[in-house]
Amino acid sequence: MRSDGTTLYIEGSSPLHSHHPFGKLALVLLTGVMVYCAPGGWIPDAAMLALIIILTAASGIFPAVWKFALRTILPLSLFMLPIHGFLNPDNHTPLLTWQSMTLYREGLLFAGMILLQLTTIITASLIFVFTTHPADLLSALKNTGCPPSLAYLFGSPLLMLPAMRTRINTIQSAQRSRGLDSDGNILKRIRALGPLVAPLVLGAFSEIEQRAIALELRGFRSQCKQTSLREVPDSKTQQILRWLMVLTALLLLLYKVVC
Amino acid sequence: MSLSKLIKKDFTTFTWVLIAMAIVLNIVVGQLVSLLKLPIFLDSIGTVIVGVLAGPWAGGLAGLLTNLIWGLISSPVAAAFAPVAMAIGIVAGLCAQYGLFKNWWLAIIAGLIITVFNAVVAVPIRLYMFGGITGSGADFLTAYMLNLGKDLFGSVVVSVFTSNVIDKVVTAVLAWGILNALPKRTLSRFPRLASTS
Repeated sequence: MRSDGTTLYIEGSSPLHSHHPFGKLALVLLTGVMVYCAPGGWIPDAAMLALIIILTAASGIFPAVWKFALRTILPLSLFMLPIHGFLNPDNHTPLLTWQSMTLYREGLLFAGMILLQLTTIITASLIFVFTTHPADLLSALKNTGCPPSLAYLFGSPLLMLPAMRTRINTIQSAQRSRGLDSDGNILKRIRALGPLVAPLVLGAFSEIEQRAIALELRGFRSQCKQTSLREVPDSKTQQILRWLMVLTALLLLLYKVVC
Repeated sequence: MSLSKLIKKDFTTFTWVLIAMAIVLNIVVGQLVSLLKLPIFLDSIGTVIVGVLAGPWAGGLAGLLTNLIWGLISSPVAAAFAPVAMAIGIVAGLCAQYGLFKNWWLAIIAGLIITVFNAVVAVPIRLYMFGGITGSGADFLTAYMLNLGKDLFGSVVVSVFTSNVIDKVVTAVLAWGILNALPKRTLSRFPRLASTS
C-alpha cells in the first residue's frame, strides 16, 4: 500500500518496516522513560539518540526523519536557547555579555538538555510513525483482543480524512463566492465563524447516521472473532524484545521513584 | 446501575461513529478557520460536542484519540498533549451534565471552566517536557513574564491560560450553537440531552 498523503507512513521493506508495531511502540515507551529517568545526565540520551539514528539510516528513512526533526526542533531551539539563555530564573554564571544582555550558562544547559530529550523522543516516535502503516497497527490491536469498536475509532478517522478535506475546500469556496468577508474587522470575522463551521458539522452529522446503520448491518457490535485481511507477522524473538523493553522502562521508572 | 453499565449506556454504535467523526472534525476545522485569521484554532470543537452529546467518558475518549491520531499523521508532539484533550472532553461532558450548555452565556462559563482545566493539565506537560516553550506565539508572553521576574511556572500558567481562553470560549459557544441547530431526530438519539436542554 502506497502512502496516499493522509498518513506519514513511508513505503519500504526494511526489517524495521516488518517489525511488529508493538515493538516499535515499546521502543518509544523505553525512550520516553529513559530520557527522563535514567541516571547519567545527557549520556544515556545521547547514546539512545545515536542508536535511533543508526536504526533510521538502516531502514532508509533517515532523510525524512532529518527533515521532520529539523522542521520541529529548529524553531523550538530558536525560541528556547535565547529565552532560557537570557531569562531563566536560575541563571548565575555569565558566559557572554553584549550591550546590556547576558547569556548565562545554566539557562543554555537547561535548554540544551530539554532539546536533547525532545529530539530523542521525537526521533523514536518518528521510527514508529514512518515505518508502521496504520492498517497494520489496527490488525495488531485486533489480534490482542481489543474490542473492534476501539480499533474502528483508530482506523475510521484516517479513512474519513480525505473526504472531509475536500468538503472543507468546497465550503471555503462556496462561502467566499458568497462574499465571506475574511478581511473585515474582528467582530465581522467572528460572526463569519458560524456560516463556515456549521455546514461542515451539520453535514457531518447526517453522515453519522448513515455510517452507523451501515456498521450495524455489518455486525459491528457482534462478539465473535473477526478475520482480518491484513496479516501482521510476529515472532517469539520480537515478543521477547518487546517485553524486555517494557521491563527496562519499568525498572527505570522504579529507579527514578526510589533513588 | 453499576458504573460499567452506565458507561455502556452511553456507547451505542452511533456514539462510536460520532467519536470518529469528532476526531476528524478536530483535525480539519483548524484549516477552515485559518481562513479568518483569528487567534483561535478550534481544535477541540469535536471533543466538546461529543462531551455534551454523549457524556464525559465519550468526550475524554474523543480528545485522547484525536491527539494520538494527530500524532500518527502529523506530528508526534501533538501526542504528548493527549491528556489535555482528554481533560477538555471530560470537563465538557461534566459541564453539560450540570446544565451549562443550556444557553449562550452559560456556554461562555463552560468555556472558561474548560480553559482552567486545560491549563491545569497542559502546564505540567509544557513545563516538564518542553521547559515551558513550545515554539508558538505564547512563548513571547512567557518570555515577557520571565523578564518581569516571574518564575517559569507562573509565566507558563499565564501564557497557557491567555492563549487558550478565547479559543475555548468560542469553541463552547459554537458547540452550543451547533447543538441548537441539530434536527430533533438526531438529538433524540442522545438520552443525556434530556437533562441538558
